[in-house]
Amino acid sequence: MSRSPQTVSALRSLLSARFPEKARKPCGGVPVSVGPIDDALGGGLPAGRLTELISPAASGGGQTVIARLLAATQAARQRMALVDGSDGFAPGAVPGEMLRHLVWVRCREPGEAFAAADILVRDGNYAVVVVDLRGCAERLLRRTPASTWYRLQRAAEASSVAVLVQTELLLVPAVPWRLILGGPLSLADAEATREDVAGRLSVRAERGAVPVAKEMVG
Amino acid sequence: MNYAVLSVPDFALHALRRSDPSLVGRAFALVSGEGRKARVSEASDEARGVAPGLAATLAMSRCPGITLRQRDPGAEVEAHRLLIAAAFTLAPRVESTGSGCCTVDLRGADPVRTEALMRLRAAELAASGLPPRIGAGATPLLAAYAARCAEPVLVVSDPAGFLAPLPLSFAAPTAEQEAILKGWGITTLGGLTALPKAEVGRRMGSEGALLWERASGESTRVLRLVEPARSFAAEWGYDPPVESTEPLLFKMRRFAERIALELRGSGFVAEKLSLTLLLEDETDHRREFRLPEPGADVEGWLRILGGHLATVRTKARVAGVRLVAAPARPPQKQEGLFDTGLRDPASFWENLARVAAIVGDDRVGTPVPLDTHRPDAFLMERPAESVEPPHAAPVHPPYGPTLRRFRPPWPVSVACEAGAPARLEGGRLGGRVSAALGPWRAQGEWWKPGAWALETWHVELAEGGVYQIACSEGSWRVEGMLD
Repeated sequence: MSRSPQTVSALRSLLSARFPEKARKPCGGVPVSVGPIDDALGGGLPAGRLTELISPAASGGGQTVIARLLAATQAARQRMALVDGSDGFAPGAVPGEMLRHLVWVRCREPGEAFAAADILVRDGNYAVVVVDLRGCAERLLRRTPASTWYRLQRAAEASSVAVLVQTELLLVPAVPWRLILGGPLSLADAEATREDVAGRLSVRAERGAVPVAKEMVG
Repeated sequence: MNYAVLSVPDFALHALRRSDPSLVGRAFALVSGEGRKARVSEASDEARGVAPGLAATLAMSRCPGITLRQRDPGAEVEAHRLLIAAAFTLAPRVESTGSGCCTVDLRGADPVRTEALMRLRAAELAASGLPPRIGAGATPLLAAYAARCAEPVLVVSDPAGFLAPLPLSFAAPTAEQEAILKGWGITTLGGLTALPKAEVGRRMGSEGALLWERASGESTRVLRLVEPARSFAAEWGYDPPVESTEPLLFKMRRFAERIALELRGSGFVAEKLSLTLLLEDETDHRREFRLPEPGADVEGWLRILGGHLATVRTKARVAGVRLVAAPARPPQKQEGLFDTGLRDPASFWENLARVAAIVGDDRVGTPVPLDTHRPDAFLMERPAESVEPPHAAPVHPPYGPTLRRFRPPWPVSVACEAGAPARLEGGRLGGRVSAALGPWRAQGEWWKPGAWALETWHVELAEGGVYQIACSEGSWRVEGMLD
């Protein structure tokens, strides 16, 4: 079957007319203040989209990303929600004044996290919603129907909130941006400021990445 | 306009329909009397060919799917309370004139604002299953006439022009008076008031003069005022008891609408809702909801109540429900010029309440570390309305990777060499320690029973991963991962 450029172009036009929200470029982003991640995403977490951040190794730096995101959103006077799937966030590990704009949801299992995320992503008062599923039972996460993720993506598109999903394994289907944290941190990093630790994180973009940077600005 | 009358045509019919979800959209009629003497008193629009006065048997033959019901005094009382509550939102002097009818003294009220408010209330009542007609005029009688003609709101500014074409029956003449006037060729109020009042009185007596006054809309009276609601509660039952949330929510909406209007009429909002499910086995299920944003928004209440009911499992069927709203004065707040507040406060607080219904009230909020060295000591507080700008950079910026806690901590066996951890063994974590930092010793509250003492280490395992381990009373545990 031949596919002429005209046919492809017509199909694209048809799709963009039928699904205008898909053709819409994400506007703005929320900087994470983690150099490698901001570079990979072209400025920050894209608003109205899901970004998956995978930490396959122990001490990959996922919690440092959350701490830096807290500082960045507070500097920008934005509100942030953390849906904590395994109740792992340690308030004492970040300066107290960086918590004032945070809404922390302490879940016991992934089902609660998905239900809470579904509500908060639609809220419209948050700039970022972090759904941290690290530490949740893999068996339960694997049972999550794909429709849950699609529903979350649609909700994010509608409310223009940046959604960061932290996992230990590849989980989110059809996610526009997927980043993988690389080598683990070591005890030697304890002597460095958190800003420097964040700058040392190794990040590999598996999906999305730099070309979107220009789309996001504006 | 000095007075307004709120009146609901076919009041008993609407009152019953708004209390029974099975009647919504169906052909039904109210009958009075029993057996062969039963006659239709009010019929819904869907009951085609059925009119008041028709025998019940004839109504069933004309409209085969029709449902015939007797009046429900309980539903009528509740509907009348809703109407009175709506009237109190217009002005504080309200008379309960009759079943499905009330009169409001509007003297002193701003006419433009009041008319807009009347239209708003008419729409709200109609949405609540009680479509009213609201008339306003210089006297209670004129307002009542206006209410009979309103669709749904009519303000009479030219009484003579309004009354002139109305039929004589509006003034409620006796049969004898009607016959006399018909003989004179008079069939409208305008026709009667065109005659001099004294002449009418001379020929028809004092009763005739009173009829003339009624026809002119001039007759006035003192209103018998009712007190506004002082408690904001509703209680209703189910016979037979119910097992699902749909019938609960249907009636809950009806009663919540009335409570919300009563609150508004009294200048209050609700700060707390108390829900009690009365169960068939004579036990009950109680739950109190502190509304994060005090208000009288029925949809918001129902989202919170519905979210809770969706998670409730009771041992017996629900035979009744009690809903109580705790009143509070509306919050007053002036936004700061540079406030980064909430875009949609109502949605923010409602959604937090919904999340709290899923994970628990104490598991959602803003964490505030406590002023203690005890590990993992914090409080969950209500989130702030606005995001404050950051203060100056901290003197001691945070160092190193960030701790991610394991709650509860993982028990682990630690083998030490030269006073430092050298190997971890446990169910979830184990391996050779390639590097260790510590110990950091801390203790507190030694002066009271909850005394604690800890020795904390940071260890890096040879196979990767940095963990925080702690020893307390001789037992080790992994407190979390430095991530």
